[in-house]
Amino acid sequence: MLSAIVIVGPEIREGRESGVSLENASSEFPLAATQLQQTAPLACVEVLGRSVAGRLIDELRRADVDTISVFADAAIAPRHAGVGSSTNVTLYVAEDPWHVAAQKLASYAQTEIEAILVMRASAYVEFGLTDFLQSHREQGKAATRAFDKEGPLDIFIIDKTRISESENILTTLRASDTARYGVRGYVNRLEHPRDLRQLVVDSLTSRCRLRPQGSEIRPGVWIDEGAQVNRDARIVAPAYIGRDARVEAQCLITRCSNVEINCQIDYGTVVEDSSILANSYVGIGLDLSHSIVDGNNLLNVERNVTLEITDPCVIRQNRVARKEKNRRSPIVFGFGGAQFASAEEGSR
Amino acid sequence: MLTSGPVVIMQLPEQLNAEGVRTIMQELEPLLETHRPRIVLDCSQVRYMDSAGVEMMLHCLEEAMKRDGDLKLASLSPEAEVVLELMRVARVFEAFATTDEGVCSFNAVPAEGVSQSTSWYANIFGDLGAIKQAS
Repeated sequence: MLSAIVIVGPEIREGRESGVSLENASSEFPLAATQLQQTAPLACVEVLGRSVAGRLIDELRRADVDTISVFADAAIAPRHAGVGSSTNVTLYVAEDPWHVAAQKLASYAQTEIEAILVMRASAYVEFGLTDFLQSHREQGKAATRAFDKEGPLDIFIIDKTRISESENILTTLRASDTARYGVRGYVNRLEHPRDLRQLVVDSLTSRCRLRPQGSEIRPGVWIDEGAQVNRDARIVAPAYIGRDARVEAQCLITRCSNVEINCQIDYGTVVEDSSILANSYVGIGLDLSHSIVDGNNLLNVERNVTLEITDPCVIRQNRVARKEKNRRSPIVFGFGGAQFASAEEGSR
Repeated sequence: MLTSGPVVIMQLPEQLNAEGVRTIMQELEPLLETHRPRIVLDCSQVRYMDSAGVEMMLHCLEEAMKRDGDLKLASLSPEAEVVLELMRVARVFEAFATTDEGVCSFNAVPAEGVSQSTSWYANIFGDLGAIKQAS
């Protein structure tokens, strides 16, 4: 039996009451402290209709993982309290998700679970779970960590039977003698907003398996439900228009651009090689290229410049539709279809 | 404000918002009223620019051109460049990597050398009559 623990939050922090830490964790997985990222990891930002974290949960469900426990940082999760529960996915909200995850790992001692997949929803990684498990079994170590060509990833398989009950399982992860599993598939570490942009480009050009939500109305043009594209607007493939997004007349959306949920691109604006994150308004007659827009923040990827634009006629945060209030960007879980318990027992 | 021959170089402030525009316009306004104003705006310090800043630049360009002068931009900071491109006005201005280049550009084609009967766009598009005939 396989169980999964997914951490949605920052990398393992040092000096907490749990004493849990990963050596060099902060240098290996630096958080991109940009305005666009704020407190949530980029894996929580909705991209092509669904966040990377949400897609990860879906993937685990499809892979028939017996139980999936999601430990989310309290700074992110309260916005999503009240969502329903499902048979095998439980959401725990905690100040220190790693500490609570360690407690959960310890509780597996009394269960039939043999292996536990522990991963932080931080990077977009394409790997075969069966292959990873097989590699773990063949190497016969207590823990196996996934690596790509750039180094270690926050993905582990822990063999419960090889760890003594008194041992803190997360300490096992720190051990230098963990076995290695080389990920051969696509990896995007999502360390900087430009990585998010790269993920969109790679998805729309089929360089990775991530597929946009919605329907492909013509080759390379993806339109999600409720999107309104004016008949005088032009969408040049590949491009994605998200749920309830509006593209007004004389607009041009081109070169791997994505317009996420509840965005509005106003009259005559050109969006080229850019990502418009959820709930953003882009004003009339603008030329937007090589950029990421998130509310009134604009990051020009080409020049590596972040601007906060205070003129609401240019760009601004769009009002969030009532039904979408739990899905605001960038502090968004975007789990959508996946159902979670509002269980906060982990933080108690 | 610096002068290099007939050319005036103005350093724009870090914050080119309504407040910054008011300050800079106090210096620019008298210059724009002279005959054939030749101005280079040094944008190297600009870290923030809103629509007031863009509008000020367009207003100054218009005023300078009315009096047969010109306004050019130099040492554009990435922030200023992004805003000008976003608002589709970057191509309206002549921009140079340094203020020296901006100043030299005025000397390279003296304003006196341009016939007063020639429309301003003739320098860019050539003789429209000839184009029409050819087409």
